[in-house]
Amino acid sequence: MSSTKVIILLVGMMLVTYIPRAIPAVLLEKMKFGKKTEKFLKLIPYTAMTSLVVPGVFEVDAANPAIGIIGGAVAGVLAWFKCPVMVCVLGAIAVDFLIYFII
Amino acid sequence: MRSIKINHYCRGLRAGVPVIFGFIPTGIAYAIMARQAGFTVAQTCLMSLSVFAGASQMMAAGMVAQGASVIAIILATFILNLRHIIMSVCVFRRMRADRIVIKLLAAFGVTDESFAIFTTESEQNCSVWFFLGMITVTYSSWNLGSLIGAVALELLPAAVTASFGIALYAMFIAIIMPGLRVNFKLVALVLLTAVCNTVFNAFLDSSWSIVISTLVCAFIGVFFVELEEEETDEQH
Repeated sequence: MSSTKVIILLVGMMLVTYIPRAIPAVLLEKMKFGKKTEKFLKLIPYTAMTSLVVPGVFEVDAANPAIGIIGGAVAGVLAWFKCPVMVCVLGAIAVDFLIYFII
Repeated sequence: MRSIKINHYCRGLRAGVPVIFGFIPTGIAYAIMARQAGFTVAQTCLMSLSVFAGASQMMAAGMVAQGASVIAIILATFILNLRHIIMSVCVFRRMRADRIVIKLLAAFGVTDESFAIFTTESEQNCSVWFFLGMITVTYSSWNLGSLIGAVALELLPAAVTASFGIALYAMFIAIIMPGLRVNFKLVALVLLTAVCNTVFNAFLDSSWSIVISTLVCAFIGVFFVELEEEETDEQH
């Protein structure tokens, strides 16, 4: 790809990435939501994060789904016992590292 | 007033720290792909500086490698980023009091990860300053990762880079868990979403699948999940 084309690509990608992120910042200035809509918006973090995790987590290592499943389970268990997010992340990484080390 | 802003900014910095462990390795992975697709070191870094969207950048590198046209890549990026409209609504809903100019700066940093942390943070911490603190960390680590990957292709041992692949998933799981511990109807909603997204994912492009299952399941949840006022906040 020529460098002019790369620049066009970068500018285009920047615009189509920034605009969807910025539209709600402008539109939400004066908007008020009803109770149902507020609830809907509060539930979105849960449904969005679940969708980001499942089924993607099974393919952390496409050749070995256990890496994702065990790593995810470690994070889940640590979080269940109220460990900070940071500890959950490091715990999952450490366990996966051990698994790679063993196999 | 000034000290409150600084205080929020610093809290934001701290909240962004877990993302470092996901973004540096992912940035490295992206940069390796981009270099292999024929981008120069400068172009590879410039894309991270100007676009700041992991999934889109990796997809773009992959598409360039396959000889896709510029228009096709931009269109694919747009589709992949549509979910950020929804996330951005949730983020800016919690920043009503802040000035628009500064919010337009913050908008640049809306990613899956900053959305996840910010929308589950307690309301009294939620200001544009907290968000800016957080994205200072996420943006720096993303660009640092890209730089490392662009200049030093294969210095890191494979087992190290591979085990960092779990980081962002672990973070999402850890973020929603406090809300789930105290609300079993929310657990039911999460299970429903997991099933939905797995099914949609089988016959849809994954970015569409995420958008559809996020919206459909949140809509279904409105009818059976009971939320206490700011229930997700008490754990933080």
